[in-house]
Amino acid sequence: MNRSVRYAVTVGAAALAASSPAWAQETPVAPRYGDLSLVTQDLLNRADTDGNNFLMTNGNYAQTRYYPNGQINAGNVSRLRPAWIFQTDVKESMETSPIVVNGIMYVTTSFDHVYALNARTGEQIWYYAQKLGPLTIYCCGPNNRGVTVLGDKVYLATLDSKLVALDAKTGKVAWETQIADPTLGYSETMAPTAVDGKILIGTNGGEYGIRGFVRAYDAATGKQIWNFDTVPENSSGVWATTDATGRDMHRDIAAEKAALAKDGDPYKKLGGGVWQNPTVDRARHRIYFVVGNPSPDLDGAVRPGDNLYTDSLVSVDLDSGKYVCHFQYVAHDIWDLDAVSPTVLVRVRDSGGTMVDGVLHAGKTGHVYVNKADDCSLIRYSEAMVPQQNMWTLPTAQGAVMLPGANGGVEWSPMAINPGLGLTYAINLHQPMTYTVTPAAYPNGKLWLGGAFKVIAGAEQWGSVTAVDYNTGRIAWQVKTEQPMIGGILATAGGLVFTGEGNGLFKAYDAGTGSELWRFQAGAGVNAPPSSYTVDGRQYVVVAAGGNTQLDYKRGNAIIAFTLN
Amino acid sequence: MSSIDRIGPLIASVVIACAAATPAIAQTAATNTIADKAAVCSACHGGNGVPVSKEIPIIWGQHAGYIFLNLRDFQSGARKNDAMAPTIATLSGSDMLALGEYFENKSWPDLEQPRAAADLVAHAAAVAGSGQCTACHLSGFLGDSANPRLAGQSIDYLRKTMRDFHDGTRGNNPWMAALLKTFTDSDIDAIAHYLGGL
Repeated sequence: MNRSVRYAVTVGAAALAASSPAWAQETPVAPRYGDLSLVTQDLLNRADTDGNNFLMTNGNYAQTRYYPNGQINAGNVSRLRPAWIFQTDVKESMETSPIVVNGIMYVTTSFDHVYALNARTGEQIWYYAQKLGPLTIYCCGPNNRGVTVLGDKVYLATLDSKLVALDAKTGKVAWETQIADPTLGYSETMAPTAVDGKILIGTNGGEYGIRGFVRAYDAATGKQIWNFDTVPENSSGVWATTDATGRDMHRDIAAEKAALAKDGDPYKKLGGGVWQNPTVDRARHRIYFVVGNPSPDLDGAVRPGDNLYTDSLVSVDLDSGKYVCHFQYVAHDIWDLDAVSPTVLVRVRDSGGTMVDGVLHAGKTGHVYVNKADDCSLIRYSEAMVPQQNMWTLPTAQGAVMLPGANGGVEWSPMAINPGLGLTYAINLHQPMTYTVTPAAYPNGKLWLGGAFKVIAGAEQWGSVTAVDYNTGRIAWQVKTEQPMIGGILATAGGLVFTGEGNGLFKAYDAGTGSELWRFQAGAGVNAPPSSYTVDGRQYVVVAAGGNTQLDYKRGNAIIAFTLN
Repeated sequence: MSSIDRIGPLIASVVIACAAATPAIAQTAATNTIADKAAVCSACHGGNGVPVSKEIPIIWGQHAGYIFLNLRDFQSGARKNDAMAPTIATLSGSDMLALGEYFENKSWPDLEQPRAAADLVAHAAAVAGSGQCTACHLSGFLGDSANPRLAGQSIDYLRKTMRDFHDGTRGNNPWMAALLKTFTDSDIDAIAHYLGGL
């Protein structure tokens, strides 16, 4: 169909809808196309109890990915079938979390294309393709994990390190801001977070010797409000010799201290990217996020010290970006087993049994960490979800074997929780690798790993969906999958968890037991986090099936929405 | 002595002769447009996109970001090449970007290299899987921006440049050097044939 004709019809409908009073939205009526002044801060604050919309990448500010609608449930999920399939123009890795506001869905593709779709029918409303600059330097695929919404705008972050505000009704650019210099390896693959008139964003680039940050930009103008450097000028820390689990990391502290005295603090090119959305703690007026690996990933000799705040949980003030607290999971990491899966804020039992606010994070190390929201201190860590072997053997010139391999554990895949069951669900991968260290000078815009990781050819690889009791750290159930898993998971009030695999299978499991209750073959790798939403009183589950660059899963270009028969 | 070692010096001499016959890209009013500057490149890289010798890479249809980075590296000496350095000595950064975009907009030529035999394909797939090559060179080895397209590149150039990474001769990408150091000659040969035949 002619795109411009469809666009004209939709704009006409939006004009009609906009003339209705705002309170009419409170009653359950058909969605009003294009009327996005309804994305108020109040709506975003209540996202965790919103069983109609899907307002942010990980469901709500706490990032529980728990959808509060039980219409699709363990009893009827066997009747789930595709409602519609939309094919985008880009057949490459898809990592987008679909966002749905009043029946309008926003999805993104690799190379930063954005689509607004009718969430009931899958029809396209508008389309925007970012014109990328000639030099985009990024890691792990030309991905985009989605947009965020606030007021009448949709916000996108791009591979050439820009933040773009689009008019939600039309997809036209409202403003565009250059975040950082793409030629140095700064890039964006994450979705932004919108809160209190601010757009929060981290940065890609820990593989390129950047200096990482989390920033807040003004949602109306694109002007920078605050910047938090994830690598402070004094990055040495406490010279920790063990990781969060108490394992010896075999550091040569004397040699590191000598290197520090000779060459100074390595903070300027230390890495510390922030790959994904922060958790927003409304009560404490703070955000929590996790910081990625130091640069160069494998060669610690050129970056003495703990390399703060890489591989850490960090909390900063929401209004000022000022440091509040941190906890480093792995100090002076030389295995790229960094912190990338986003944090989840949830009530947990502390070690004494008292209920406190906790922050969960699933590591590439294979553990789910549970920390105190108040002061970032560690409460507990879970049993290992994947095999661990020879931790923490030092990389060598010939290649050392250690498990997990450098992809994890849990890679960027966000978790989901079921608060009633006290369970958090993580998708894992087991992919044996060798770790080789080869010193290299800073290469100015090229990958700076200081070595190589290679997948061990012929070694068995697989994945798992693991449910962890975050009040005890015990694994409640675990389902092994044919291939390493990467993407994301959604939990619902219907007692279900939904997640997909590289072989194209999108599955629903019983949240309490891990029984597989439903599956669908999507024809390409389902390696993105699912979302859910309701239109006209009917619940849908939606997921992108585009495969994955990092694990080389079959590429596709589809957004698939499912509903009950 | 492998066939590489016999052909290598011969190719090198052709390349150098090629470059010697070519004036450096001059910065005069007569060569103001990018098309004028790019005309110099055709002496070696081919007037129709097909390079004049097998160890010279295709640049027609290659990604602009990659061309820019390597012109920058040839000029600074981070990547050493006796033919390239003098030819591009006076190019500015914006020239390099413009040349990158100029060549990116050309069509990638078909060198009519044969599809690799099944055993080479299997070998190449195993090595590429282990090295996670498509994580940067993307699906189909078509590349993007800073990461070059490899699919359909000259087999001899691919082999030469991988060996240059392997033995440290090519110094402008430490990740590639560290990774290729772990590849054997037969791994490199299989990959070159596989990619060239795509």
